[in-house]
Amino acid sequence: MKTKTWLAAGLLAAIAFTPSAYAGGTLRLDEVAVGELDPAKASDYADSILMFNVYDTLVLPRQGGAGHVPHLASNWEIDGATYTFNLRDDVAFQSGNPLRAEDVVYSVERMTALGAGYSYLFRGVTATAVDSLTVSFTLETPYSPFIAALVRLPIVDKALVEDNKGNEEWGETFLSSNGAGTGAYIVTSHNPQEETVMTKNDNYFLGVAEAAPDTVRLRYGLEAATVRTLIARGEHDIASQWLPPEVVRALSEDGAQLFSETGTGAFYLKMNTTKPPLDDVNCRRAFAAAFDYDTAIQMIAITDDVSAGSPATGAIPVGMFGANGPERVQTQNMEKAREYLATCAYDPAEISLEVSWIAEVPLEERFALLFQSNLAQLGVQSEIIKLPWALFSEQVSNPENTPHFSQIFVNAVTGDPDTLLYGMYHSTSAGTWQSPENLNDAEVDAYLEEGRTATTEAARETAYSKLNTRLMDLAPTIYGFDRQSIFAASNRVNAPAISDPSQAFGLDGMGFSFRLMEVVDD
Amino acid sequence: MRPGSFLGQHILNSPLIRLLLQRLGISFIVLIGVSMLIFVIARVIPGDPARIALGPNAAPEQVASLRAAMHLDDPIVVQYGFFVLDVTRGDLGKSLYTNRPVTVDIVQFLPATLELVFAAGIIMVGLGLPLGILAARYHGRWPDNAVRIFALLTVSAPSFVWAVILMLLFAFYLPLFPIAGRISDIYEIDRVTGFMTIDTLIAGNLVAFQDAFSHLVLPAVALSLSGIGQAARLTRANMVETYEKPFIEMAQAYGFFPSRIARIYVFKPSLIPSLTIIGLDFAAMLGNAFLVEAVFAWPGLSRYGVAVILRKDLNAIMGTVLVIAITFLIVNILVDLLIAFLNPRIRYSTRVDA
Repeated sequence: MKTKTWLAAGLLAAIAFTPSAYAGGTLRLDEVAVGELDPAKASDYADSILMFNVYDTLVLPRQGGAGHVPHLASNWEIDGATYTFNLRDDVAFQSGNPLRAEDVVYSVERMTALGAGYSYLFRGVTATAVDSLTVSFTLETPYSPFIAALVRLPIVDKALVEDNKGNEEWGETFLSSNGAGTGAYIVTSHNPQEETVMTKNDNYFLGVAEAAPDTVRLRYGLEAATVRTLIARGEHDIASQWLPPEVVRALSEDGAQLFSETGTGAFYLKMNTTKPPLDDVNCRRAFAAAFDYDTAIQMIAITDDVSAGSPATGAIPVGMFGANGPERVQTQNMEKAREYLATCAYDPAEISLEVSWIAEVPLEERFALLFQSNLAQLGVQSEIIKLPWALFSEQVSNPENTPHFSQIFVNAVTGDPDTLLYGMYHSTSAGTWQSPENLNDAEVDAYLEEGRTATTEAARETAYSKLNTRLMDLAPTIYGFDRQSIFAASNRVNAPAISDPSQAFGLDGMGFSFRLMEVVDD
Repeated sequence: MRPGSFLGQHILNSPLIRLLLQRLGISFIVLIGVSMLIFVIARVIPGDPARIALGPNAAPEQVASLRAAMHLDDPIVVQYGFFVLDVTRGDLGKSLYTNRPVTVDIVQFLPATLELVFAAGIIMVGLGLPLGILAARYHGRWPDNAVRIFALLTVSAPSFVWAVILMLLFAFYLPLFPIAGRISDIYEIDRVTGFMTIDTLIAGNLVAFQDAFSHLVLPAVALSLSGIGQAARLTRANMVETYEKPFIEMAQAYGFFPSRIARIYVFKPSLIPSLTIIGLDFAAMLGNAFLVEAVFAWPGLSRYGVAVILRKDLNAIMGTVLVIAITFLIVNILVDLLIAFLNPRIRYSTRVDA
């Protein structure tokens, strides 16, 4: 009898501890503060997560492949610089208002008028409502990645904003604490420094799976020690990508799963091509050959198989138009570095280089130290300088004040190479945080122009491929590694749109579309 | 003479009121000085606030128009003039960090920090003073040594180190206390005062109160530890000094109980210097709380203050610093009044002057 009781108790316990099927519990994750809910002001990762869940866009990147698929739009036509979209007729905002062409027009106008966040993607775009469900965009200048740019145009409920805008023209106060989208998740509370709470939108036009989280708590600004303890206690589900590698490693050793989001960006050591000795191409080539790429990747490795970076094969990250194949993986070559240095017009013994790192990104100090030792192997002196972001972005506006080497992580904000490369290398973009190289090369400019105006994918591929070759030859930048975002997560969650390449969007943050996640109910 | 003016005269003649008015006057001048100083310093930090707010890719003309709207291109004296004008209307401007009016942010974040600081202050006084008394009473013996070691430990390690240690001990290895936030997700408490422990009581929800209280324990203890050590050391040192005064020898000669001597004749005069430091410590915690707030995900003003400085959010920097300065001044006035009340020499000398 007693044995039976124990057996029954054991069985019950076993049932209780077996993870139940994915059934839509609460999902808890964190990001760096502050969570910007206004889609016209959104600019970083936390904002993207909010944007992609509370709002929808006309198109979405195709999951697991190149190109875009209709989302709020049912189809579109391109006629030169005019893009005409037919909207779905079954979409309603969370307020109950139906989606109309005037909402799309309002969203573009609002974004460009406020001039913040991703609005620069829509400069010179005029939107017109052709009828209630047709909208057309006319571009001032031809811009073939326009469809890609639309993933950064969340559609706002015009009527709701107009009703709540008070005496502001564009209702910024209302939209900074309330959602006004069609998205799969409805904001129920928002404190930009603490957390945003969202619940499933049962009337979402595509429906939301049962297993998707019912409630999401997106917390802001948690410390690494806090996240670690919360996950260990089962009180947190997905940690942000900004945890130090040691903490992610420790979490993984404690049994957390690791999601890797293959990014559309990279880590760069940018050389100021206007400052001696970096105005000499052979000097630049020497330093690019001297950088220890393998060690840099080992420094950000989480486990033997997972790393926050993969080897770069050239100037364009793997997976984008014009990227080189794996045979072109960047590696250190000291012999070649010495050869280049011998042909450089400057005497290495008289060179002293400034290697800067951004104070807010402590990881970069390690790369600076690594590079300093690589330079020392070449017999070149260098000095490491720490720059707060605000100071750095001010210094780069003047080439004379820009350090020899600047370390930057850059992403293609729409997933298209144009948004990564044009801002970095076009001569008209020089002197911004993305372009401390101050590159001025007519050939590079021509390829970049071709890349944004060519109408066929093949022509764009060719343009970017040539650009890649040209950039590798000019060596304005040391292409450190292609970036991957690593998220430690509890075993309650399944997020294929982040971790499964065949379902990934290829756009930072979009994998956090909660409607595509599964959570165990507890 | 009309009774009203007599009453007014009488109140003005009261030494404590005179002291209060005098302190308020000085505080007002200090506040103006602080606001000018911070106004200038905030503008000297590198970086263009308009550029930071609009993002790195904003068009130059849009950055210029935001600069113009914020009067950033005007001479600094004119900018300060606009600031003072807005403050007199109760408008601290808009935060570029949270995109909300700074006053809304302060109203939302200040109570959380005040609750934390009050709790830490109570622990600091409630533990620091008795430990100091104990050490002085058993001067040179083991309780004295124990308190000294404890005080040294707490003073030498900053509060965020204690925050992490306490979290590891009492939340990770022994899961006794919650780690993050002010209350568990399951409770929906209407905001009345912004103090979670008080609001849960107003809502009549004792279980939620207990939950909010348990959230408060670790951050408050972490924040108070260095203050406890300081209060204990000061109280002890002052009391040891007072023990050597002739009037104590006299009390001992009369055969009073040692505990009575300690409590009444030694403690009270020794409290005055400790009180000044405790008051300063208490106000300083408002600014120092930010790392503890960060570790325990406490949505307070201190954390907000650091975030806005990093983003060069000028309006929010001014708002936060002014609130902290005002609290500092209020606490100082209270301490001065308390000291005047405790110290008969100050009390009576003021009365004679009057």
